[in-house]
Order: sequence, then structure tokens, then C-alpha cells
Amino acid sequence: MSGVLSRMRQFQRRDLLRVGGPGLLGLTLPRWLHADDQPATGLRARAKSVIFLFQWGGPSHVDTFDMKLQAPVGYRSLFSPIASSVPGLPVCEHLPETAKVLHHFAQIRTVHHTMNNHNSAGYTALTGYEPPIDDQRLRESLDLFPGYGSVVAATAPGSSDLPAAVAFPYQISDGSTTPGQRASFLGKQHDPLFFQDDPNDPGFRLSQLSLPAGVSLDRLGSRRGLQQLINSQSRQLDQSAAATGLDAYYRRSLELLNSDRVRQAFDVSGEPEVLREAYGRTTYGQSCLLARRLVEHGVKFVTVYFAPSIGGRSKTDGGWDTHGFDNTRMYEILPARHLPLTDQTLPTLIRDLSERGLLDETLVVWMGEFGRTPKINDSISRDHWPKCYTVLMAGGGIRGGAVYGSSDRYGGVPDRDPVSIGDLAATMYYALGIDHTREVHDNLNRPLPLARGRAVTEIFG
Amino acid sequence: MGRPGTASWILLLLGVLLASERAVLAAGAAESALSGVPSFRHEVMAVLSRAGCSLGTCHGNQNGKGGLRLSLRGQDPEADYITLTRSLGARRVNVQQPDDSLLLQKPLMQVPHEGGRRFVRDSLEYRVLRDWIAAGLPRESGSVESELHLVRLLVDPSNSTLSGAQRTVQLRATAEFSDGSRRVVNDLAVFESSHPGVAVSATGEVNFGDVSGVRQTTVTVRYLDQQQPARVQYFPGRADFQFEAPAAVNAIDVAVFGQLQRLQVNPVSLCSDDVFVRRLYLDLTGQLPTRQQAESFLASRAVDRRSQLIDQLLSADEFVDFQTLRWADLLRVEDKTLDTKGVAVFHQWIRESVRSDQPLNAFAAALIAARGSTYTEPPTNFYRALRTPEERSESAAQVFLGVRLQCARCHNHPFDRWTQDDYYGWTNFFARVDYKILENRRRDINDKHEFDGEQLVFMKSVGDVRNPRTGQRAGLRFPGSGDQQLGAAGEEGVDRLQLLADWLASEQNERFVATQANRIWQQLMGQGVVDPIDDFRGTNPPSNPELLEVLVREFRAGGMRVRPLMRMILNSAVWQLSSEAGGAVEIADAEIAPLFARTVPRRLTAEQLLDAIAMVVEAEPRFGGHPAGVRAVQLAGVRSGGHRYSRPETGDRFLALFGKPGRIQTCECERLSETTLAQTMELVSGPLVAELLSRSENRISRSLRSGEATERFVEDLWWRALSRAPSVSETEAMVRHVEAQADRRRGLEDVVWAILNSNEFLLRR
Repeated sequence: MSGVLSRMRQFQRRDLLRVGGPGLLGLTLPRWLHADDQPATGLRARAKSVIFLFQWGGPSHVDTFDMKLQAPVGYRSLFSPIASSVPGLPVCEHLPETAKVLHHFAQIRTVHHTMNNHNSAGYTALTGYEPPIDDQRLRESLDLFPGYGSVVAATAPGSSDLPAAVAFPYQISDGSTTPGQRASFLGKQHDPLFFQDDPNDPGFRLSQLSLPAGVSLDRLGSRRGLQQLINSQSRQLDQSAAATGLDAYYRRSLELLNSDRVRQAFDVSGEPEVLREAYGRTTYGQSCLLARRLVEHGVKFVTVYFAPSIGGRSKTDGGWDTHGFDNTRMYEILPARHLPLTDQTLPTLIRDLSERGLLDETLVVWMGEFGRTPKINDSISRDHWPKCYTVLMAGGGIRGGAVYGSSDRYGGVPDRDPVSIGDLAATMYYALGIDHTREVHDNLNRPLPLARGRAVTEIFG
Repeated sequence: MGRPGTASWILLLLGVLLASERAVLAAGAAESALSGVPSFRHEVMAVLSRAGCSLGTCHGNQNGKGGLRLSLRGQDPEADYITLTRSLGARRVNVQQPDDSLLLQKPLMQVPHEGGRRFVRDSLEYRVLRDWIAAGLPRESGSVESELHLVRLLVDPSNSTLSGAQRTVQLRATAEFSDGSRRVVNDLAVFESSHPGVAVSATGEVNFGDVSGVRQTTVTVRYLDQQQPARVQYFPGRADFQFEAPAAVNAIDVAVFGQLQRLQVNPVSLCSDDVFVRRLYLDLTGQLPTRQQAESFLASRAVDRRSQLIDQLLSADEFVDFQTLRWADLLRVEDKTLDTKGVAVFHQWIRESVRSDQPLNAFAAALIAARGSTYTEPPTNFYRALRTPEERSESAAQVFLGVRLQCARCHNHPFDRWTQDDYYGWTNFFARVDYKILENRRRDINDKHEFDGEQLVFMKSVGDVRNPRTGQRAGLRFPGSGDQQLGAAGEEGVDRLQLLADWLASEQNERFVATQANRIWQQLMGQGVVDPIDDFRGTNPPSNPELLEVLVREFRAGGMRVRPLMRMILNSAVWQLSSEAGGAVEIADAEIAPLFARTVPRRLTAEQLLDAIAMVVEAEPRFGGHPAGVRAVQLAGVRSGGHRYSRPETGDRFLALFGKPGRIQTCECERLSETTLAQTMELVSGPLVAELLSRSENRISRSLRSGEATERFVEDLWWRALSRAPSVSETEAMVRHVEAQADRRRGLEDVVWAILNSNEFLLRR
């Protein structure tokens, strides 16, 4: 402990410390980066795909990756730090496996926005845009900005036979459906393929890609034949844009239903048992395994939601919203649920991607809608904190072990190099080689850039 | 724009558009050559706009870019002057060494500039900025000009038609200043073409390139705070062209065919009776005709059978259902905010208004002036759903005036003439609307959008919105008019909503009349004369101004009732045109739609499609909170009856997937009309169609029980789904398929599936 602490202090200096290449014994030393390190590079796709692991409810940054060990009692985490694979970068004691792969991650410790409620903050984190008001029940509307996956689907869909964006295994909500999960004004054709089937279910199959009972592919084929015969009766009609469009979608639908490759992409049952166990036989674990399969098959943007609800009061379900309500305690719930679940799945995903040579071309993003209050509340838990929190990124050209930005001694506000939510969105688009200043037009014909901000290019190698 | 009656907005618009097509004038560069010191207001501001610096995505952004913030599209010269001259010391502008100014170095890319190179050395932009800096940043160039301001912008020709080898036209933008002087400003103005396939050069030359067919574009010309449209059309122009069209029935046909003749486009012929009957039922009732209805129409030999059926359906109950649905979308008839009882009473009130063919101006006035209990005074639910002055004013402008005012909330409208002062003056009419919440049994106490219980809508005696531009309380003004005439109205005792309702309902309110007439046209034709229908502005002119004029005239003559105008449209040859291309009309749907030379097929709407499926299969889908048998077009709210929280039934899911709006916006755009992959997946293999087909009680099971011959089954199916008999080859193929199946039921299911998935079924043509 004291060793870790003294090394921590060593790296609390504000000077830039650059240690190139892999360090001693294959370990990577932390790279403290700041804004002036921006390399002058053109736009190229570093990552082919993004796996966006959305931690609904808001994980505590000061109890996981930005522990403030020197903060006074009442602020300091009740968890202890342990050393990680990056000397000088301790993490929470309940994340021992994650600690071993930390050298793959860049941490951005100064992400901030102004939304305090889950739905408005969730929308902000899922789109890179703040809503007009901080509304606890912010509702989906075509005025709001589309989610990242839809933006990618609309602007750089790639050429896979699978949809460009896929999201599962929940639709997240807090009282009302959280906006930012769909395509909004970009049009429903850019909605992610979205499903709520559980990949951990032994009988898991994607409902949209399943045929109704009693309908085989052969039978569907003969139905298609009858349909085409009827269509051929009205040749004139067939030339209309509406009919042409319909027919293109029918062809695509049948391709999807007929494609072994598509079916295989969603089939986690073929994965080795040992690997399935390693990911964890949980909805989240198997969802992350499925995410890897999907990027292997060319899906550009995969969103995995940690939980459908903000949770925080249960050791068995729900998200990260650990206020200590109803006489619950954050420091009991996190080690019982969220941290072990994370510690089993996240490092497995990183290792699996790495072993398959996919990590270099896959950006993995781990983030919530906000962090949690630096000060521990009366229920020995923490409340919402959007002013400064930590986001992890790995793969896709990220410089492993990098730390960008630093928070103040409480983890309360950015101390240097603040990163806005627009910057964060720009960073993801940058990784995908998408020019974030490119404009889309909303229903008022307002030109809106894909992200308002500056890509944090310093964290890329 | 004055009081209703004194000014005629639409005629003004038409006047501009119908202005004689003048000879093409080459913009004389000499007339606009720089002389002397550039004017900050008239030249510096213009070149910043022209170079794109003050666009919303660049320095015109509310947060600026790279530390420089300009007003959006140069709407605030005073602020920009200060920004450019006083901020950042001498770096931005260097009077001693002008070429060292960032204001020149950045856009020339002599130093890194995120926005790239905006102009080159020795361009006019460069010279204007450089000379202005070198001259010591004068606010204005001289004592006389400092008094000058731009009075209006003229674009010539404002309407031109090109044909044959003549594929280019030079526009000339002339600024008229307050001293009466004029100046050609082609080199200072911005030119933008609405059609991506028609180019316009930086100096205003419109070029149709190698376009082969007819094409229209609107070029928006902007200079300082003014903008003007120029309409340019091109057609190939054949010497041997012979115009052929169905006989004109009424003034609509005269207007449409007149334009087509000028553009040398022959409309297609009238549609056949079987297409007509299906189209008419779908458009007026949202339902397919029954077999009996279709057959009896087709059996009629009456010369006026089409007119008769039009009259009959305009007075049908199903017409009332379908029209009510349309207004319920726009007026946000939705449970969460209105609650179940509110939805019921408001829906019923709209229904009654539609049934009695209440004039739309009276309908609008009743909504605008509504006060009292949301349970006993149903139109108050209009305000119940719109909780802030801004929501109320934006919604009212969009629905009743066809104007998207939203942009002007934060800055002067970039594509229109609405200023921020207009916005807050209009919004102030709604500032005093307030609610007395008698009861709120909301289920989610954190959800401030949810209300369950009675409310009283009333007017507070005080309260005004503040205009952020002036920091003062806003006045009252109708869009486009000044504050002055209404000064007295701001005083105590004046009922602002009644004042507004009277203004809106006045027969002379051209904006209202044109918006509603265009909406009715769009509903039947699938495309507005002004399109989108809630985006009337000078720079989005009608595709056929004469046609809009006819619609406005007829709508007013019909007492602003929906049915008379619909009757006229439906009886026109134009509405009855076939959807079949061919002959002379081989033009893409996108180009032909605004000309109305052919009917463009469109997908059935969510409710039409679901009701049609149910009718063909003879099996009712389920909707949360509704008794079996209710049709989709009759649903009062969205997932109504307190069933918002339960798992959606397959019927609700289907409607959402096919675009039924959630009704949280006052915009037609909330209803999705596009086709998506998820929709075809649903039809191919989704739960709803599969479940209806396999029901133990449906058309298929009845056929099996009765021992009906396959031919009869197919024939009946075709009539129900397509309003026509099957062709011989269709019957043969279907019968062959069914008889090849070991399980007859499976064969019949396949046939029904095929018809439900056919283009002819899914499209209204």
C-alpha cells in the first residue's frame, strides 16, 4: 500500500512524463498526457469497429479508476487500491483481473458535462450532445440528436452484410425510455438493430432473424416466389421509387434470414465452453462475447447496455446508481455485483480481442452517464456527479496505459485538460476515421456537426 | 405585413414569383468594383458571410470556433465589429502590417486554420478585408454611408425558364440602400441552390449541366440580413412537342396542366376505375373498400360514378375517423400528458368538429382561445400538452401558419425573415397561459410530463416573456408585423388569446388560409405545393404558384371547410391521374412529384396498413387498453387507456414500427413515411402477420370449414386486398401452389402472405 502510494505521488506531478515503448518486464508505464501533445495527423480509420459498453446508472470514478488516496476521510474511497499492470496506476481492490489488463487502456479522467439526471445525462453520454434542459424524464423526440451507432450507420456504414449498428440486450430507461438509443432525425432506417433477447439464455436466438413457427426457409422461398409473381403483374408500378425501395428491403430481409453468416454471427452457442465461462455466464458477460462476434463479422458499432435500469439498490440486478437509498450501501453492493461482474467480463473481452488480433482494430469504450460525488453521503454512498469522471478506452490504436487529463484532489473537477462530452464523441469518430465536423441536418434544417468538440488524439499511438 | 386584410402575404409571394421573366443580364463587374475604403457593414460583413466564416458550423456557432465568435450569418454587425477590432489585441487585425492579421492569415491558410482555405490572395474577399484593416478598421467608410442601410435586395430574373441548349442563366443581385442608391452585389452575395443536381457559381450563374429532363431549383441569394429566392426551371424543349392531357375538370387542372405545358411535360392518363376506388377509399377513410363496395362501384355505368362515390365517402363515418386521426397527431392527443379522460374528450371534440365540417379558422380559434377545465372544455387540452410559452408559440406557428419559428428563438431565422423580435413578440401572446392543477395522480412522481387529473387552463393577469436580444419584456406582434399596432394590446384587460384567435380566424389571414389549403392538398396528393407543408418561407416557394392560388381561393370560397376543397381536388383530373409511368413521362419520381404530372405511389400509413391486413385476413390485431374490434385509425391516443406501462401488444408495436407518431411534437414530420428494413422484416417474418395468419378464426379457417374452392378463395382475396379480380396467371399459380401442399391450410396461408407482401397491396397508387 505504502509503496503504491509513494509511486502514485511520483506520478502526481503535473509535468509531462513520457516513457516510450513497453516498459520493464513487458509492463507499460503510464503516460501522462496533455493537450499540447496533439500529433498532427490526417484522418484515417484506426478502428474498424467500436464496442461501447454503457454503464447505466453511473459508476463511481473515485472508487474504481481515479481513486483519490490522499483525499480526506469522508471523500476517500473505502476500497483499497491495488497495483495494476501499469506501475503507478492503482485500481480498486475489487478489480484484480482488470488491473492485469490496465496497460491496454487509456483513461480520460476529466470527462464532464452539466446533466445531473439519468435520462438527460444518459442521452448526453450516448450522443455527445447535451439536451436543452436537464430533465429527469427527458423524452425521445426528433429534436434530439441520434446515438453514436446511428450516426455511424448513416455516415460510414461499411460494407458488411450485417447492420452497421447493433444494440442489446436491453433498452435502457429511467421512468421513460432514455433518448439517444436510436437514430432520431436521421431516420429509422439508421436505427441500430436492436434486440432484448438474452445471449445468456440457453435458447438464445435473435427474434428478428427467426422465422415464425412452421415456416422454414424453403417455405419462405416459395412464398417469395408467389409474391414476385404478383408483383410482376403490375410492371408499371414496379418502376416507382416506392416499389423499388420496397423490393430492395425485401431482398435484404430475405438475405438476412437466409444468411448462415448472419446467423452464425449471433450464435454464441458455438463458442468454446471455457471461453463462455471466462466471459461469465451472465447476460452482460455473454453480451460482451456476442459483441466480439459481431465486430468479427464487420458490425461497426456495437452497444452493450450493462443493465436496463439505473438500479443501485440491489446486489442481483440493475445499474450503478448507488445512492444508498432504502438503507442500502454502495460499499456493499458494488463488491457484490457490479465490480465482480465487470472484473470477470471486461478483462476477458480485452484478452479475447487481443488474442484474436482484433484489439488493434476495435475500440472498446467503457463509460457511464456520469461519475459519483467526491464526498461520501450520509448513507455512506455517493450521488450523481457529471462535473468530472473517468472514461476508459482500449484498442483501436489507443496508447495503452495512457492517462489523459487529471482531476483535482477530490476527483471533483478537472484539474487540467478537461474533456467535454463532445470531445469524447469526436474521439470515437476520430478512431473510426469519421470527420466529426461533418454536418447532418435536423428537422429544422440546422446543420449540426457530428460532434461539437475536439478529438483527444493524444491518447492514440 | 400589416393587419389581416391590409396585406396579403401570399400574393406578395406570388408577385415575386410571377414577375415577368426578364432578359438575362450579365452581372457587370465594373459596377461593383471596389472603390475607396471598404464599408464594414456592407462589404466586410458580406465577405465574412460569403466566405462561410459566420455559418453556424463555423464562427457563427453559439460558442464560436477556435476562440472567434461571430454573429450567425452576420446578423449583428455591431457585435462583430467589436469582436474583430477589440478582442485579442493586435493579433487578429494588425493595422500597421495588415498582412500579419490573423483575419487574413487564417482564411488564406498561411497559418493553420481548422476551417481550411476560405479564399485566395487577391480575391475580392481578401482585398476587402485587407483594405479595411489597412484603413484603420473604420466603422463606416464615410459620413454619408454611415447613414446608409440596406433597404432591399432584388434578384433578377426572379423566375426564369431555360430550355434546350440554354442551360445557364446569370442571376443579378442588386442591393438597394436607404438613399435610393443601387449596387450590384453579385461579388458580395451568397448563392445557394436548393436542388443538389443544379449548380450555382459563387457569382450567381445557375447551370443545369447535362440534365436531360425537366428540373426546378430555387436559388437563395443572401446579402447582409436579406435574402431573396430565384426560381429557375429547365426543360429539354422539343420543337415537335405536342401537349396531351386529360380534359381539365376544374381550375386545379388548368393550373397544373398549364405549368406542364410550359415545361413540355405530358401528364399521364386518368387511372382506371379499380385503381380509383381503392385510392379513394384509402385517402378518405383510411380503409380498403370491401369487395362489395369495390364491385358495386365497378359495376356502375353512371357517367358521374366517380363524383358520386366522392360525395358518398366524404359523408361517411370512416372519413370522420380518418380526418380526426390526422388532427389528433398534430394536436398531441397523447395519454401521458392529457390522461385517459383528456384524450377521450379531446378526441371526441376533434371528431365532432370534423363531423360537422367546422370551418378550420373557427376550429383554430377555438383551440387558441380555449380556457377552462380540460375535462369539460376539451380544446383546452391543446394547451395542456404545451407547457411553456415557447412550446405553445412554436406549435401554433407550425400548425396554423406553416412556419417553423424555432430557429428564431436563439437568433434571427437563417432561411427566413423571422427575427428574434418576431419570435418573442409572437410568443408573448402565450406568456400568460397557466394551469391550475386540481388533481394529479401521476404514476411517476418524477415525471413532470405526466399528468393524471383535471386541470384548469386560465390566463394570468400579468407576465411577459423577455426578449433575450434586448433584455426587455417582449411586446406583442403577429409574425412579420411590427410591435406598434398592438401596443395597446399589451395593457391590462386585453385578452391576448382572444386577440390572437380573432387574428388567426380572420378570412383575410393569408398565411393561415394558405397553410391549411396546402395541408389538405398534401394529404390527398402526398406532396404539398409548398413542401414541407409547415415550412412556408420565401426561400421555399410553391412548386406551382398558380395552383396554390387556386387552392387558397377555393378553400376560402368553401368557407374554410375541409370537405368542399377536398371535393374539388378529388374531382380534378390531376388527383385521378394514373401512377403508371410511360409514354412521355419517363421522369424520376423526385422530379415529377412537385409537378403533379403523375401519381407517385406511396406506402400505406401505419394505421391504413394494419387495418388493411386485418380486413384481408379477417382477424383483429390487439391494442393495449382497447376492446377487440377497434380499428387502428380509431385509436384515440398512443398506447392509450393507461397501457403505456404494460408490454406493447403486437398491434401497438406494429403501428410504432410503421411510423405512428408518439405525438410529442406538433409536426407532421413525426409520422414516419419511409420504408425501413425493420418494417419488411416484420412483414416477412414478424410476429403480427404470422399470428394473424395462424389464428384459429380467420378468413383461412372459414375457407377450410366451408370447403370453398381455391379459385374462389383467391378471387375473393384479390378483391379484398387489391380491389380487382386476379389475372388468369395469378389464379393458376396460386391454385397450383395450394394444391401442391400436403396441408391445405399452409398453402392458403402462403397465398395470403404473398398478397400482403405484394407491392400492389402495400402501396397506394
